[in-house]
Amino acid sequence: MLKDTLKKALAPLGLENVADGDYAKTGCHLEVTAQPTQMVEVAQAMLDAGCFLESFTAVDFPEAFDLVYHFASFDELCRTAVHVPLGKKKGMYTISQIYPGADWYEREVFDLFGIHFFNHPNLKRLLLPEDADFHPLLKDFQAGPGND
Amino acid sequence: METKTGEPLIHFGVLEEALNLARANSLWPMTFGLACCAIEMMAVGMARFDLARFGAEVFRPSPRQCDLMIVAGTISKKMAPAVVRLYEQMPAPKWVIAMGNCAISGGPFYYPNQYAIVPGADLIIPVDVYVPGCPPRPEGLIEGILLLEEKITKRGRLRKFRDA
Amino acid sequence: MIELLGIEEKTYTLNLGPQHPSTHGVLRVLLEMDGEFITKAEPVIGYGHRGHEHMAENRNYAQFLPNLGRVDYLHALAYNQCYCMAVEKLLGLVVPERAEFIRVMTNELNRISSHLLWFGAYLLDLGAFTPIMYCFDDREHILDLLDRVTGSRLTYCYYRFGGVPTDIDDEFVAGCRDFVKRLRSRWCDYDNLVTKNVIFINRAKDVGLITKDQCVKYGLTGPILRGSGIAYDIRKSEPYSAYPEFDFEIPTGTRGDIFDRYMVRLAEMEQSCRIIEQACDKLPNGPIMAEKVPKRIKPAEGEVYQAVETARGEFGMYIVSKGDVKPYRIKLRTPSFANMSVFSELAVDTLVADLVAILGSIDVVIPEIDR
Repeated sequence: MLKDTLKKALAPLGLENVADGDYAKTGCHLEVTAQPTQMVEVAQAMLDAGCFLESFTAVDFPEAFDLVYHFASFDELCRTAVHVPLGKKKGMYTISQIYPGADWYEREVFDLFGIHFFNHPNLKRLLLPEDADFHPLLKDFQAGPGND
Repeated sequence: METKTGEPLIHFGVLEEALNLARANSLWPMTFGLACCAIEMMAVGMARFDLARFGAEVFRPSPRQCDLMIVAGTISKKMAPAVVRLYEQMPAPKWVIAMGNCAISGGPFYYPNQYAIVPGADLIIPVDVYVPGCPPRPEGLIEGILLLEEKITKRGRLRKFRDA
Repeated sequence: MIELLGIEEKTYTLNLGPQHPSTHGVLRVLLEMDGEFITKAEPVIGYGHRGHEHMAENRNYAQFLPNLGRVDYLHALAYNQCYCMAVEKLLGLVVPERAEFIRVMTNELNRISSHLLWFGAYLLDLGAFTPIMYCFDDREHILDLLDRVTGSRLTYCYYRFGGVPTDIDDEFVAGCRDFVKRLRSRWCDYDNLVTKNVIFINRAKDVGLITKDQCVKYGLTGPILRGSGIAYDIRKSEPYSAYPEFDFEIPTGTRGDIFDRYMVRLAEMEQSCRIIEQACDKLPNGPIMAEKVPKRIKPAEGEVYQAVETARGEFGMYIVSKGDVKPYRIKLRTPSFANMSVFSELAVDTLVADLVAILGSIDVVIPEIDR
């Protein structure tokens, strides 16, 4: 069972929380919480187990950001959600050396939230114009009145 | 917006009417689909709604070879300079049709906290005909082109057939 | 000789601009070329960014429904379905069986119309003007059928939380059967025009190879994944809606080149026809909306990830709800975003003509990448 393989692979990393998810309610089989410094090892463990990076995004909560990675597998149905709480002024470690597909996801999170990724090969804005000076998905963002 | 081209230097008199008739009946649109309306624009050129019978099926990719720009889709702020540049690259006489609600006024994407789009093509380029809809039916776009022909030739089509 | 003359060899930068007939929308690719061969290709996206995710935080759940049709307008019903299923999970609603069957039927019709448009537009990129005429003709029949039921031709907003708002009638079911019969009689036309065409075979075989390793590392899904030999389709591996009731196959390719992806999409259209036929036969009677759908959609606090299989790959929605009428965060995981990120690796050491062929075979819809 892929879920047990993943639990075994993630056990030695000393993560905060590796628990079964309620698939019928949340759509995820495994819920993991990790610290920013541990994320690279988690990503390596997921790649070794044959999972692909399904999605990566950030959520802006009042106290901290919550980076959410979703991993799934082509062979067996097992979706893993990895939550990484990140402080507001902190940067994050890139996993694009392990999953090249994460390159664009991280650029998008940088563009929309302003979270910096260390050692990213090409951290430029992706969706907004290069000279934009705001991060739209932050909760305290207000578009200016003359937005035309 | 100000007029797009000044008054012509030379008036050809009656020949002008013939020239306008020729221009109206052989409009060459530019392939300028930005979003969803582009698909309906493609459907207009296809076999069922055939734009060829109005002389306008020759969609040219290069702006230097066309005289009609159909702005089909939302203009994002990143794309706006490109739209203006393409418009300026077209040789006069040129016309613009704003197709779809997004090109007319921002469409379903306009709301007070919007940061990403230009709410309406006529904020950056002069527009001649507005075709509403989200997306407008291909028949709507054909109506827009026929209205543009009326505007160019300054004479109406046979009214009794038009409103049937 | 070149060194003697003091000539310096440099690469040539070419801009495949946001306005281009073959970029399927507003995509810009910065090419660095050594003669005709491409040494580096960097896609620049964002020209179609309309702020869907920001709009989601400013609208309540029902007001966000029309947005989904505009994310990917070619297979809009699948996006509607994913959002409705995600919110139904949060609310705990159970959709009645007839509504599920109607959702599947309309979804598969939409999938066929998306693949038909891809087929026509792709061959237009390669220089063939006839197939697109045939495809749009077939597509118009689908659009007529869906227009009768949903009210729109392209950007549908047909599903609601708990079911569908309007029922289908016998004329729609008869129309579906007629359409399937008609489309099946066209396969030989498409085969003769395109599949057996020596120009197409030369341009498509062994071009744009995607390996299985790339599929895992970039998270590719959809026909490009199945063209490389991995049989992963969410309708089979994570069944949702009424798909477990139907008997259909997952076509796969072997080499992972453009020709395999093309054959996979053609075969998928045939499988969709099979699903529609079975749905017409097995359509149950009953209600089309769930009981007790709340008037104000206020899901409980929590988060949900829902994935569906669209014509381009896996579309996933991640919704974070704080118990408010507006969602706290909605993330749209679109297939074209992941599929496009492999493009710069595929484009190295190819010719510009092959670049256009590879881009078309990935089947991207730019507003889906930019959201």
